Amino acid sequence: MMLVRAFISHYRRHPLQLAALALMIVLATMLWTGVTVLTDQARTSLFQSEQAVATRVHVVRTDAQPVGVDDFAQLRMAGVCVAPWLEIQRPPPEGRVIGIDPLAMGCFGEAAPGGNAGELDGAPFLDISEAAKLADDGYDSRLYLLTANGSVVLPEGYALRDFSLGPSTGELADSFLLNLDALSLLVLLITGLLVRSVHRLGIAQRQQSFDLLYRFGVPRERVRQFLALELVVLTGICVLPGLWLGAQLAGMLGGGFGQALDSLFDVTVYAGSAESLPWQAAGVMVVLVLAVCLVDWLLPRRWQTAAVSARGRLLAVAVLLFGLVGVALAPGLGWVFVGTALVFAGTGWLTPGLLALLARWLSDRTDGKASDPLTRWRRRELAVMFSHLALPVVALQFAMATVLAVQALVTTFEQTFDEWLAQRLEAEFYVEVPRGADAGLAAEHLQSLAGIGAWHRVIRGEARMTVDKGESVPVDLFALTPVSDLVAGWTLLASIDQPWRGLEQGGVMLNEQLARRRQLDVGDNLTVTIADSVISADIVAIYADYGRPAGEILVAGGALPESFRARFESFSVNPGDLDMADIREQLADVWSVPEVTVRDNASIRALASQVFGQTFLLTRAISLLTLVLAAIALLIMGWVFFTTRVWYFRLLGIWGLPARAIQRQLRRLSVTLTLAVTMAALPLGIWLTWVLVSRINPLAFGWSLPMDLYPLFWIELGLVAAVTGLVVAHLMRRQLVQRAGEAQGET
Amino acid sequence: MRMRFGVIVLFVAAALAGCSDSSTQGGFAGLAQQVGEVDERTFLQPQPGDRLVFPRDWGPHPQHRIEWWYLTANLETPDGKLLGLQWTQFRQALQPRPLDREPPDPETWPLEAAWMAHGAVSFEGEHWFTEKLARGDMGHAGATAEPFRVWLDDWRLQAVPGSDEWRLQVAGEDWRYDLRLANTGGIVAHGDEGFSAKSASGEGSMYFSLVDLKIEGTVTLGDKTLEVSGTGWFDREWSSQFLKAGQQGWDWFALHLETGDKLMAFQLREDDSAFLSGSWINPQRDVESVTGDELTLTPARWRETQDGRVPEEWRLKIPAQDVDLTIKAPPGDYWNSGLYPYWESPVSVTGSHEGVGYMELTGYGP
Repeated sequence: MMLVRAFISHYRRHPLQLAALALMIVLATMLWTGVTVLTDQARTSLFQSEQAVATRVHVVRTDAQPVGVDDFAQLRMAGVCVAPWLEIQRPPPEGRVIGIDPLAMGCFGEAAPGGNAGELDGAPFLDISEAAKLADDGYDSRLYLLTANGSVVLPEGYALRDFSLGPSTGELADSFLLNLDALSLLVLLITGLLVRSVHRLGIAQRQQSFDLLYRFGVPRERVRQFLALELVVLTGICVLPGLWLGAQLAGMLGGGFGQALDSLFDVTVYAGSAESLPWQAAGVMVVLVLAVCLVDWLLPRRWQTAAVSARGRLLAVAVLLFGLVGVALAPGLGWVFVGTALVFAGTGWLTPGLLALLARWLSDRTDGKASDPLTRWRRRELAVMFSHLALPVVALQFAMATVLAVQALVTTFEQTFDEWLAQRLEAEFYVEVPRGADAGLAAEHLQSLAGIGAWHRVIRGEARMTVDKGESVPVDLFALTPVSDLVAGWTLLASIDQPWRGLEQGGVMLNEQLARRRQLDVGDNLTVTIADSVISADIVAIYADYGRPAGEILVAGGALPESFRARFESFSVNPGDLDMADIREQLADVWSVPEVTVRDNASIRALASQVFGQTFLLTRAISLLTLVLAAIALLIMGWVFFTTRVWYFRLLGIWGLPARAIQRQLRRLSVTLTLAVTMAALPLGIWLTWVLVSRINPLAFGWSLPMDLYPLFWIELGLVAAVTGLVVAHLMRRQLVQRAGEAQGET
Repeated sequence: MRMRFGVIVLFVAAALAGCSDSSTQGGFAGLAQQVGEVDERTFLQPQPGDRLVFPRDWGPHPQHRIEWWYLTANLETPDGKLLGLQWTQFRQALQPRPLDREPPDPETWPLEAAWMAHGAVSFEGEHWFTEKLARGDMGHAGATAEPFRVWLDDWRLQAVPGSDEWRLQVAGEDWRYDLRLANTGGIVAHGDEGFSAKSASGEGSMYFSLVDLKIEGTVTLGDKTLEVSGTGWFDREWSSQFLKAGQQGWDWFALHLETGDKLMAFQLREDDSAFLSGSWINPQRDVESVTGDELTLTPARWRETQDGRVPEEWRLKIPAQDVDLTIKAPPGDYWNSGLYPYWESPVSVTGSHEGVGYMELTGYGP
């Protein structure tokens, strides 16, 4: 009991210490809970998005006649779950609307095409009776009968065809989720550092009490046991409000995103907030808090002293270098993660010492302004602060580096995704060539149309590429004819001058995946077998092809031999001065079919962009939360630290420095501290961005993301750091004024 | 009586709003208000003095807002195991159609009426349920009086040509049944020769039943097909009147007693009272209406289920007939978890009379 009273007595005399640790555990739990919930939501949202835009199946008549109401009724009465999907194309600004029958959708259960259609308000869904009225008004319309994927037994006279609501986001989504997981791990690391920093500060301040207890005969082991017990109780109490706050925060952020994003075709893809508290996050936090606070007892004491010795620093440099080299040369993802962990460990180990060293070096300089005693004092003091605030400084550095990397990653993803969409949906409309129809006739017809915009014919099929030792491997074949302006927006990672002309003249382009896998580059010669012809061609460009693993070669349509049979053909068309409905009718006449499938690429593009938009927002929220917590930690630490240094700062006044000048010095001191941390975070953040886009993605998926830097964001981050410094200075000033008042009261 | 007003309205409202959540949010008060927005005067409302007309009344009544064809069956397998079975088809009109007006053109995807069908099987403590929905006047759901036929997609109840029998074919995801139904009795008209009062202020519905259905056929559950036979109870009911605000739900019972008597009884629960009514049908098929003063219906025991608490055992008393029954659902969970969940279970009857039957409970749950 005596020991319990002694422990409680300490906190009665120093309640702020207890409050600081409790606050940090609450905030850390809140952050981790928020991150866990948001990450889960991002994952679920992406999954739902994928489901919403996934390829479906529709039923067609084998006599090539368009399906109608009678077909719908007949199929339903035969027990086939089909639902009508009546697309109406109207001129801008109204655009496309889709008539659906919610009652018919019932048989799909949760897997209804288009997901939960939301309100039937014409954006774009409306009740099919309303859509039918529009069709009756003369707008271009087309009825589809959608059915579920999988085994559907159809009556005679009907067949299944693919029906795509939008492009599949494929591996792009997987890549994003992988990076999100890596980000969560970083957040956990930062959280641990912050908790440890506050806990260690408290332990240092209580050291005298522990020594006293030891002199009274309490074994050190017993004190440790009580400290562990104290931490367990405190953590147990504090994770609960942290858990609740984290869930609230995630709900608030997530809810805001959900409202802000109309999402794809009004399909609800935002996963929403979890109904119950994520208790597993609490478990992780309890383990983390205990681990980071009690790890000192588990490590041999000489290890701890060695860490800050010269030999320790050398070891840190070795760890850092080993990590950097490891990441650069890593053959697999696992090694990249290990290498990244080593780089973080080495950086965190070295940063406070290096910053302190730099501050001391600057203080020792005697030239020019540096000879000013106050400047020298401030730099010395800064060096002390870097040493004493090592853990929060490192935590802030990590948090800032993470924010930098996430910002770059998200922005890069957004740009990449736009380019990816532009590449695939380059034209306003996409016309599917009906099975058995002659695409050449349509090409001739389009060629003859005056006033039509850019268009090209897309041919897809298979080819074989000869690799080492005469062996050949199958690759996807992609051909374009004519090579129109529609390809102007393509991202070429490497190319000869005028690559598209090179393609027309018999060159070949490769997608990045194939080039990486076969270590091919621009200028290399390639032997490709297409149908029964063997073609030898130079590689004229390597193009970015995000989102799928398959290797692909691109040739001009003229290079295809007569014997080649396309697997799939389509036209990408900008109608220009013409009306797409007219072009559609003309193509139907050319092909002698009653209906031609035309898809509005702008809608698909808008749809896909919205799907990713919300996930990017969630990621930004995670990094912002991390930064906020790191800043709060620094505030707490700065506050506690300055409390212990107040007597020292007061000496400045005793030496004759006016109060206003002292405050100015403190302001400069704290802002320099936070800005220095920002500067230290920059290289780490840039390196982390590179790891995410250039190492993790190629190893995981075979394609890289472009590496872009955003200096404007660095400035924004610097401003945040400066504001944090100013708040710390403000707290210091309050401490000084308060203590000065107390001192006067005592005299 | 089959008070499916709530179910019908909810399924239309929910489906057309594209938001099935609303089905669980609206209570009966909400329902009534929602429905009240439609001009009641445009629909025909059954009145005392209205009479049943055959064969017309086997078919749909487009001037009325709601109606249903409803079968429950207490069957047995060859080894004596009890099996309960339900099939129901509802029609909900969003606007009335005069008899002299042609049905709308299916090409316009009209929404004058909607259909919903429920199929369920209860066997050895397990309950299988499937719901189907359809837009009216499209051809894949409807009903005709001559020849008698009620269908929604591939579910159908129809007269067998050249025979007095009906055939019912229904299939869920992992269950199905194919039954032959023979009516061995007459038509039982409830209330005032078919007009059945549903409130103290006189609103009501047209309501008749077939209570002597002999049923045979097969029921397939998973990969197991069972030969079944037994007794069924078939209801036809139509109206345009909805429940009022304050009514929380209803409890309905259709009982086959070993004495050859049949009993239909229901209560509409309100905040602090209930409207009770019923029909006592003797072996000669004379129908005697039972009013609320002559009938008591009290929950005797409750069952906790995943979807809420329901009264599993009831005491039903009609002192004038010396009837004092204990009605009990077998062990299991018999929620029909469709757009608007309700409890539909076979029951056993003990007390002054022995027997079997069906019980339907709405307005319970979480």
